Amino acid sequence: MFKTMIADVKNLSYSYGNVRALDNIDMDIPEGAIGLLGPNGAGKSTLIRILLGFLPPDKGSGHVLGYDIQNQQKKIRKNVGYMPEDDCFIPGMDAVSFTSYLGELSGMPKQEAMKRAHEVLFYVGLEESRYRQVETYSSGMKQRLKLAQAIVHDPKLVFLDEPTSGLDPSGRKEILELIMDISSKKDIHVLISSHILPDIESTCSHVVILSEGKTAAQGSISELKKIKYNLYEIRTYGDDKGFIKKLEEMGCKVEQVEDKIIKIYMPPDNSHLELFKLAVEQDVQIRHFVKSQTSLEDLFAKAVGAE
Amino acid sequence: MPIKEKGYTHWEGELKKSRYPWIPITRKGIKLAFKKKFFKFTFFLTLIPAIVYLAGIYISERLEDFAFLVENSKSVSFLKINPGYFNSYFTQDFLLFMIVVVLVFCGAGLISDDLRYNSLQLYFSRPITKKDYFLGKASVIAFFLFILTLIPGIIFMLMKIIFSGNLRFISDYPWLILSVIGYSFFITGFFAFYTLFVSSVNKNRRYVSILMFGIFIFSDILYGIFKGIFESEYFSLLSIKANIKQVGAAFFGQKLPHNVPWIYSFLVLLFICALAGFVLNKKVRGVEVAQ
Repeated sequence: MFKTMIADVKNLSYSYGNVRALDNIDMDIPEGAIGLLGPNGAGKSTLIRILLGFLPPDKGSGHVLGYDIQNQQKKIRKNVGYMPEDDCFIPGMDAVSFTSYLGELSGMPKQEAMKRAHEVLFYVGLEESRYRQVETYSSGMKQRLKLAQAIVHDPKLVFLDEPTSGLDPSGRKEILELIMDISSKKDIHVLISSHILPDIESTCSHVVILSEGKTAAQGSISELKKIKYNLYEIRTYGDDKGFIKKLEEMGCKVEQVEDKIIKIYMPPDNSHLELFKLAVEQDVQIRHFVKSQTSLEDLFAKAVGAE
Repeated sequence: MPIKEKGYTHWEGELKKSRYPWIPITRKGIKLAFKKKFFKFTFFLTLIPAIVYLAGIYISERLEDFAFLVENSKSVSFLKINPGYFNSYFTQDFLLFMIVVVLVFCGAGLISDDLRYNSLQLYFSRPITKKDYFLGKASVIAFFLFILTLIPGIIFMLMKIIFSGNLRFISDYPWLILSVIGYSFFITGFFAFYTLFVSSVNKNRRYVSILMFGIFIFSDILYGIFKGIFESEYFSLLSIKANIKQVGAAFFGQKLPHNVPWIYSFLVLLFICALAGFVLNKKVRGVEVAQ
């Protein structure tokens, strides 16, 4: 089925001096809620900054909402909301002035921006503190404020860079609920950059995994989880070095976790019976065997390299 | 803090494509300046010379009523309303010093606060360019400096015409209005570059304030020291204040205060502006990259 893309990049590369942040990235981002997943330093924030037109790519091309990232940055920024990762505000302002000011900078008429600022501050749960100076806000309140300023002009696409960082569990849950509510609207799309897997798993339908500046995997989460491999968890008794080596030769990815548990990512063509055959051959006893449910964490580990 | 059950709602309006997207930045900058402690009082103090010079224009037309004030010839020569009168207003030490004080209040934090609180990314994620950003910030400075230069200059001329009841002043000095406008724009442009430049070099507004004062005063002290040692007027080129006075005198066709061609002073100030523009371009982009 044909899916409309909200953003795409082709052969995109970017370096900070000698450090290559993005290396020939190819990516298609469909509509809906999309997760941009990767460990710290994978290039997630750099990619968002390039999509916003903050940074000119060294190589490659891309489009956001159909606009070219190198030549139509103003049009992109008009239609996009951005929630940065780090704390950012303008001192000396209360939340209403702050939010309406940024609405005005997006092109909203002054009165409309003020009205809408009240609405979005209510929406993110800052109604009682909207007249407080923003510098007196707690971390959780600042996150909400950043979300409010990102949606004040009702963008078509919202970039959320680590939206739950620095939040306590209840604050995190509430922000995720807000994101899910926003992305449930058919005409507003959300790109969430995070290294917190459960956040992406709970909010997104589609994921792009970045590792060391490269696209490690991309696609619908359910599809990626389903077709790529079978995951088994086993506990062995005996010298399992040879057993592990043979598994790797079979094309399995093996991850040793705590308490002598071994996670085996087995290609879908192989049967689990081969595991037992191999164990017999290598004189290893399997004392625990579970076919594990693949999670995004497993997918992530496999994509970025479990070791 | 409960999340509203209403859910996310769309905004029904339409985003405008403004010809002047920097205006909200200017408006907000002016508003924030007036919120600062003692700013209104300081700004009023800065307007005192304008009030005194305005009174001088009135007195100059009513000398017979103020005979007790103008007994000595020095007062009478001061009350001659000519380009020299305008030059003495625009280049007086008190006004120049107070301009720097006003700039510390309204300009020190213009960029340094944005650097400190990471707000540049908020600006640049909006459909505004770096040019809009600088224009918005510079216009805050222009707003206050025009109140201290351009507007008093025009009011002085209007009042002179009104008090004298004829247009002789205009026919005597038809170019004076251009001098007032030209000098006001020049000094405003220079101080806009100077303030934004200093504001962009550090994230700490207090440090920036000290630096703004420091450069202005230290450059003058340096001139005094070198002039004392080497007895050369050319060291006036080291002083921002002396250079402004030179250019001011040239604008109003007056005798130069220092025995140095005014064009040198003009070029020194222009060089500072160019350097400021270069640094600003680098600094603001550097933060925008936010590594």
